Amino acid sequence: MTDQTAIHTEGLTKHYGDVEALVDLDVDISAGEIFGFLGPNGAGKTTTIRTMLDEIRPTAGTATILGMDTHRQSVEIRKHIGYVPGDLAMYPNLTGRDTLTYFANLRGGVDWAYVDQLAERLDADLGKKVGDLSSGNRQKVGLIQAFMNRPDVLIMDEPSSGLDPLMQREFQAMMREVASNGATIFLSSHTLSEVQRVADRVGIIRHGRLIALEGVTSLRSKGMRKVDLSFDERVDAGVFAPLPGVRDVAVENHHVTLSFSGQMETLLKVVTERYHLLDISTQEADLEEIFLTYYRDGEEEVEG
Amino acid sequence: MLANVFTKTARDRWKSTVIAAVSLGCLLVFGMAAYNDVDVAFWDDFPEAFRTMFAIPEGADVGGLAYGAIYTGYGALTMAAVALAAGASVFAGEERKGTIGLLLGNPVSRTRTLMSQAGAIVSLCFAGSVILWVAGIGAPQMLNVDVGDMHITELVVMMFVIALFHGFLALAIAGWTGKPSLASGVATGVLVASFVGVGLFPIITGWENVAKVFPWYYFSSSQPALNGVDWGHFAVLAGSILALGALAVVGVNRRDLKSQSVGTKLIDRLRENPLTHRMAEMIAGTARVSRIWVKTASDHQALLFIVVVTIVFMSLWLGPMYNMLDDAMASLAEQFPERLLALFGGGDLSTAEGFFQIELFSLVIPIGLLAATISIGARAMAGEEERNTMGLLLASPIRRSTVVLQKTWTMVLFTVIIGIASFLGIAGGSVLGGLGMNMGNIAAACLMASLLGLLFGGLALALSGATGRTAIAVYGSVGIAVITFIANGFLTVNENTEAWARISPFYYLLATEPLVNGMDWLHGAGFLALFAVLFALAVFSFNRRDLRQTG
Repeated sequence: MTDQTAIHTEGLTKHYGDVEALVDLDVDISAGEIFGFLGPNGAGKTTTIRTMLDEIRPTAGTATILGMDTHRQSVEIRKHIGYVPGDLAMYPNLTGRDTLTYFANLRGGVDWAYVDQLAERLDADLGKKVGDLSSGNRQKVGLIQAFMNRPDVLIMDEPSSGLDPLMQREFQAMMREVASNGATIFLSSHTLSEVQRVADRVGIIRHGRLIALEGVTSLRSKGMRKVDLSFDERVDAGVFAPLPGVRDVAVENHHVTLSFSGQMETLLKVVTERYHLLDISTQEADLEEIFLTYYRDGEEEVEG
Repeated sequence: MLANVFTKTARDRWKSTVIAAVSLGCLLVFGMAAYNDVDVAFWDDFPEAFRTMFAIPEGADVGGLAYGAIYTGYGALTMAAVALAAGASVFAGEERKGTIGLLLGNPVSRTRTLMSQAGAIVSLCFAGSVILWVAGIGAPQMLNVDVGDMHITELVVMMFVIALFHGFLALAIAGWTGKPSLASGVATGVLVASFVGVGLFPIITGWENVAKVFPWYYFSSSQPALNGVDWGHFAVLAGSILALGALAVVGVNRRDLKSQSVGTKLIDRLRENPLTHRMAEMIAGTARVSRIWVKTASDHQALLFIVVVTIVFMSLWLGPMYNMLDDAMASLAEQFPERLLALFGGGDLSTAEGFFQIELFSLVIPIGLLAATISIGARAMAGEEERNTMGLLLASPIRRSTVVLQKTWTMVLFTVIIGIASFLGIAGGSVLGGLGMNMGNIAAACLMASLLGLLFGGLALALSGATGRTAIAVYGSVGIAVITFIANGFLTVNENTEAWARISPFYYLLATEPLVNGMDWLHGAGFLALFAVLFALAVFSFNRRDLRQTG
């Protein structure tokens, strides 16, 4: 942990009875970083966030935000954070503006010109009652609420749910802007394209355990590539599948697609020994494929 | 009939029915045991009007009293309330929750859905009645009490019918409007007005027949415990149930389904209108979101309004009313054995103070106060947690204890307002009727009632803080309030058990008669101290636990 660490967790663990919702989470997130927290439903993302917000208390381990303990100094921490809960709920009888006023009054120091600017960017109607808004429009009020006090740390749980693609792009631009101004963003999501677009690093969590923690670029360039191969004859999938580093083999007549991680030379050597290669194209796998790969590996481990 | 809709409705609601019926059964045993020691020879002199109200047969022994007070009075009221809560919330409640679209997305008609839900309500009322019947038959045997010629089965049949009537009344209103709160409000209003009207009008000469407009008349006036079922009255209620059921079916089919949307209220239109904007802004605008306690007050202001208007109206009206009934009351008081009056909250009916105590302090004022304080206390933490807004609220830099404190502050404020309104109403009633009641004593009684309200509000708050569940907080505190209220009545009936009544908070409002004797500061301080303990428990337990997340 350095002076530049915005969020730090150490052995963070949460059990609900016998259920291990979160196990030994160790993460350091630097100031100004956008951290993508990935995992399917029920993996422990929300539990992690709720623990950091002091909504629930860890069974073991600690977490600090801006160097302050999330339980003992939670009130002080909350002066510096913006939060969008998953499954956002607000007060249906209040208008968007009333809702923002309520939270602004509890917080103090909100710049209303900035609020109006955010509302304009997200095309949010603040005059309507929250209960009468569609879920996407309600989400916009929640986002403004999190951004309006220019927080040092933004913690968001599935923040773009319900937003249309245009608004998702606008929201991603907002995240990049505040991060470039020094804010740290903890972004829990299963919209992988969004995380890929904005995040500097990702953590992948499964069954409460962190199974990968890497920079998006290094994760993508880790060797996992999609490879298309064309031959001058029909080929047998059985030749490719057993090769080390090869997965997802699909054969169609003279054409093979597969995912490959490892030395390209090895693959090419085996392939050219058996067949006459006409064409080859490779591309970096996207986050979704990496994510699915991690998960499949995990499941196999569990089953094995 | 759709079996799964039926089953789900029954499964969602069986608890309240069974809890109500089992509690009533226990109360019957409890009441019968308390009366067992009392000499009930006075019974024959009992004024007819009150016997009618509780359907206590002439010449009845201990059993009559217990069945009359518990089954015909509290019992039938409770079962009707349970049924109307179900009727108001089945179809319209699904609209409010936004689940109706999903349900009707299946190939089922609105009619069949509603009828399946109505069928579940009938079955629940029936199951509750079976429990009451078993307790009614079993209690006297268990205690070895002779209940004479009591028609228990017939009484329970009539209780079943009157409960179902109120259930279907709420179902019909909700069916036409899609508004569960409106339906339960109107049906509760009919229930209360009907119960009071049937008790009151027969004792006013020349107005006896007015009682017949009230549904309750067709339940209680024929005294089913003594005389069995009056088939004419039965037919009136059964016919009304069928008609209301049909109305509900027509209602849900003819209108648009409601969405979860909040809708535009009058105050919203006023806010939008430039002429009234400023005024409306003061009532419902940004001012209401300035602090947590102000928002809490704003959320509950409708309840406060209803409670204050009801109490003030009744208090003002009772002054002149007492004058009109003065003679009747004096003779009533002579015939009424003092110990029996304890059952209805005690008080000497020949004095204005006694009359006010029975009419106001034994039911209306405590109900109004408890409704306000328990409603705020129970929802304080649990309400925000169940609506998933607590996480967002506590993302602000405030302590959890601040939330508890601010919400408690609203509770105290509402209690003070209702207390002052009660005082002004009763003082006004006394002046209007020229009754010359002691103002200091009125203030004392209102203060004790307010502290009692705070005590139960504090209990709801502590349960809310400890569990995060509104249902536990509401049922827990209302349950203890009802049990201690009734216990105070029963325990003070019998000399041997009177000392035990001191464990009931109602003892210090009713049995010690502050309206006659003035303020007992020790009792007041005791209530306050208990409230402080409950508040501390609420803060302590809420601080320690994980916030709940639902959905």
